[in-house]
Amino acid sequence: MFTISRRLLGVLALSGAAALATPASAADKINIGILSLVSHSPSIIAQARGYFADQDLDVEFVSFQAAQPMAVAIASGDVDFGMTAISGGLISLADKGVVKIIGGALQETPEIDGQKILASKAAFDDGVKTPADLKGRSFGITTTGSSFHYMAHKIADKEGFDRSEIKVKPLQKVPAVIASLKSGQIDAWSIVPNIAGALTSGPEVVEIGRISDYIDNYQVTTVFTSTANVTDKPDLVKRFLAGVSNGIADYNAALVDKTMSEEETAEIVAMIHKYVYSDQPIEKADPRIRAGAMRINENAALSVASVEDQLEWFKSENLVPEGVTMEKLVDTSFVETR
Amino acid sequence: MSHEATTRPGETAAAAGSGEELRPVPFRGGGFKHRPLGPVAPIVFLAILALWELGARSGFISPIALPAPSEALAALGDLIATGMLWKHLGASLYRLIVGWTLGSLLGIAFGLLIGLFSLARAGLLPLVSALFPIPKIALLPLFIIWFGIGEGSKVATILFGTFFPTVIATYGGVDNVDRNLIRMGQSFGLSWLSIVRKIIVPGAMPAILSGFRISASIAIVLLVAAEMIGAEFGIGAYILMAGALFALDQLIAGVAILSVLGLIIAWLIGKAEKRLLAWRS
Amino acid sequence: MQLIARNITHHYGGTAVLEDISFAIGAGEIVCVVGPSGCGKSTFLRIAGGLERPDSGEVMVAGAAPEGSLNPLTYIFQDFALLPWRSVAGNVSLVLEDHGIRGAEARAIVADVLARTNLSDFARALPRQLSGGMKQRVAIARALAVKPAIMLMDEPLSALDSQTRELLMDDLVALWQRERFSACYVTHNLNEAVRLGSRIIVLSRRPGRIREVVEIDMPIDQRAERLTELERLQRRVWEIMREEAREADREIADVP
Repeated sequence: MFTISRRLLGVLALSGAAALATPASAADKINIGILSLVSHSPSIIAQARGYFADQDLDVEFVSFQAAQPMAVAIASGDVDFGMTAISGGLISLADKGVVKIIGGALQETPEIDGQKILASKAAFDDGVKTPADLKGRSFGITTTGSSFHYMAHKIADKEGFDRSEIKVKPLQKVPAVIASLKSGQIDAWSIVPNIAGALTSGPEVVEIGRISDYIDNYQVTTVFTSTANVTDKPDLVKRFLAGVSNGIADYNAALVDKTMSEEETAEIVAMIHKYVYSDQPIEKADPRIRAGAMRINENAALSVASVEDQLEWFKSENLVPEGVTMEKLVDTSFVETR
Repeated sequence: MSHEATTRPGETAAAAGSGEELRPVPFRGGGFKHRPLGPVAPIVFLAILALWELGARSGFISPIALPAPSEALAALGDLIATGMLWKHLGASLYRLIVGWTLGSLLGIAFGLLIGLFSLARAGLLPLVSALFPIPKIALLPLFIIWFGIGEGSKVATILFGTFFPTVIATYGGVDNVDRNLIRMGQSFGLSWLSIVRKIIVPGAMPAILSGFRISASIAIVLLVAAEMIGAEFGIGAYILMAGALFALDQLIAGVAILSVLGLIIAWLIGKAEKRLLAWRS
Repeated sequence: MQLIARNITHHYGGTAVLEDISFAIGAGEIVCVVGPSGCGKSTFLRIAGGLERPDSGEVMVAGAAPEGSLNPLTYIFQDFALLPWRSVAGNVSLVLEDHGIRGAEARAIVADVLARTNLSDFARALPRQLSGGMKQRVAIARALAVKPAIMLMDEPLSALDSQTRELLMDDLVALWQRERFSACYVTHNLNEAVRLGSRIIVLSRRPGRIREVVEIDMPIDQRAERLTELERLQRRVWEIMREEAREADREIADVP
């Protein structure tokens, strides 16, 4: 993170807006930012199976601990493409004209197990049996303007109580939220199914609902790149999306629809394992990678309605500047929109 | 130097006698000395601000690299206009004051124990040395379990951060109290408690106060870490939120508030030093 | 009150510092202890006042302390040992507080001893504002406040310049005339020893042994006028010490 911000400062302060262009090296060399999460595996699969090579792209992965520095690195041109939830930081960068959403990734769909709403055992015993009971309760989030913050407020909206009556607690990091939930310091949280599954298997945490009941067609994560790439190198963007779309297809076939042969699936899992749960042996990592994979939109299709709903929420909470528009945030020319 | 000093007078005396030209001794004693230059600090500060503003306005400094100082000032203005500044400051000051006070009191108590008793020194000093360098941020998940996500863990983070430097400053101060003064106290038959109260504690006071300077700065540094955990209000929480939203104007405004807070605390400790240590030359 | 040292022997680690020192200080007597540097003079004084325990031998007192003496054995230190954060009056009252003397009684004692040492105008001054000579006067006033029976003086004038030393020596003589205190006066300055001592104990170089005891019959108050006689006396003492001092100078000190 330090090197990123230092480079950001150096590059941007010295050469101004000109530095926003991607590095001037070979035109088809790209950096892709990833987090160590299963949802980032389409790029990994596309690289391992040569889909990027087919598009004449030379890919290098850059690992990040959190979505925020990845967004900043894409803004600075250090990284070309990334996938992350729509956060206040991302919108703020889009408002400054440096990043754009170009496609959709993880999406809640009714037929696939999606994000779960969890309560601590203490809160559950104290009467929090359904999300409607969250009125007046505390809800863990990472940071203000994170997807968790959005989900908490959407629950309040749908259940018909004031947003301020669900007390969001910013805890910065997912492990801190988990620690707080397990020890009953916070009453509730929402999280992707594989983490939720691991938590509810223990005695401290209980599942009380599903996010898909509260948010329609929730576009959880999106594909984004720098504005410079969109305007100056649309061809590069198209080739990246073509490559990653093949990866998405394999990911869905292997882990979501399970239409792939077991042999091929194991091969896919092994590819993912190089970057996800890589600190664990494959025997342990395998079930965790397979468990609770959520659908990633085919061909990176984007639910514009969901993005718009999220943007409106950010504006209503004064978390982003007034003037941000969908045009500033999203470029819909690359993928199918819904 | 002594060589020159002994040869030159002879030369000049001879020169004066024989009517040769007299030359002044060249001055070589200058430099290596600080003069107080009052207005330099504000001028440098204002010049940097002006350059920064100019750079931001002309587009030389990209808005995603740094916001213009005027934007940060506007963010500060918003904070004041909405009254949020006092809410944030109030929450942070409460945590700073409670955490720092408890940390300092405990630190002085343990520092005195280590300074006065061999058993405490043998038992506690290695523990202090082992625990001091642990980054308190690393312990945040544990603090959540131990102290909850309310005020407890925030105060505890600041308390732990200020405790160790105070212990070290205090026992160092006790060690440095002039042994002759203690011997004097004993020779006049002063009780143990009187020697501690009237000789050792005042003697260690300069070290304790300079420890306060360090621990107060550490407390401010740790404020951001402390307010990572479930804080709705507080300057640290405000800075973290600004970072998460990539609202750089608010980020700079928050950081500026912290620096002003640091300046005020340094000034207060300076006042306390002047008052408590008036006996020093 | 008398102070009697019997067969004092002391070591620091493996180094012998004092060997078999025995002598007595009678009432109203000033006994000067001189010797080359590192001969254990100061160690002896610390043992004499109970600040350090000798390896063998013992220090005894005989007779009752004078009426109202709070601290029979009282030190005067070379570095004055004043608390820099207390005023002159505060430094004197420090030694009274632990004896339960406070308020008006304490103020009266402080005013009295400051008057006796000509410090009345400086009661509120802090030590850092005073010259070395004034500081030692404060230390003497502090000692007087506890009405000592025997003063243990550890090179009390060594930190002062020679003019101040002369002035303070006169003060000490005048004070002794009035108070007739007993003292063990440790110094390396032979001039002080012959001016103040009723007896001079010359120690050898380390380990310190009594080399010779020189009695001086001349009354202390007459000595300022009989400097030529004193000069001869001082030379005699120096003759005794010379070889020891030369040898001591060549030693490598490893003793505190």
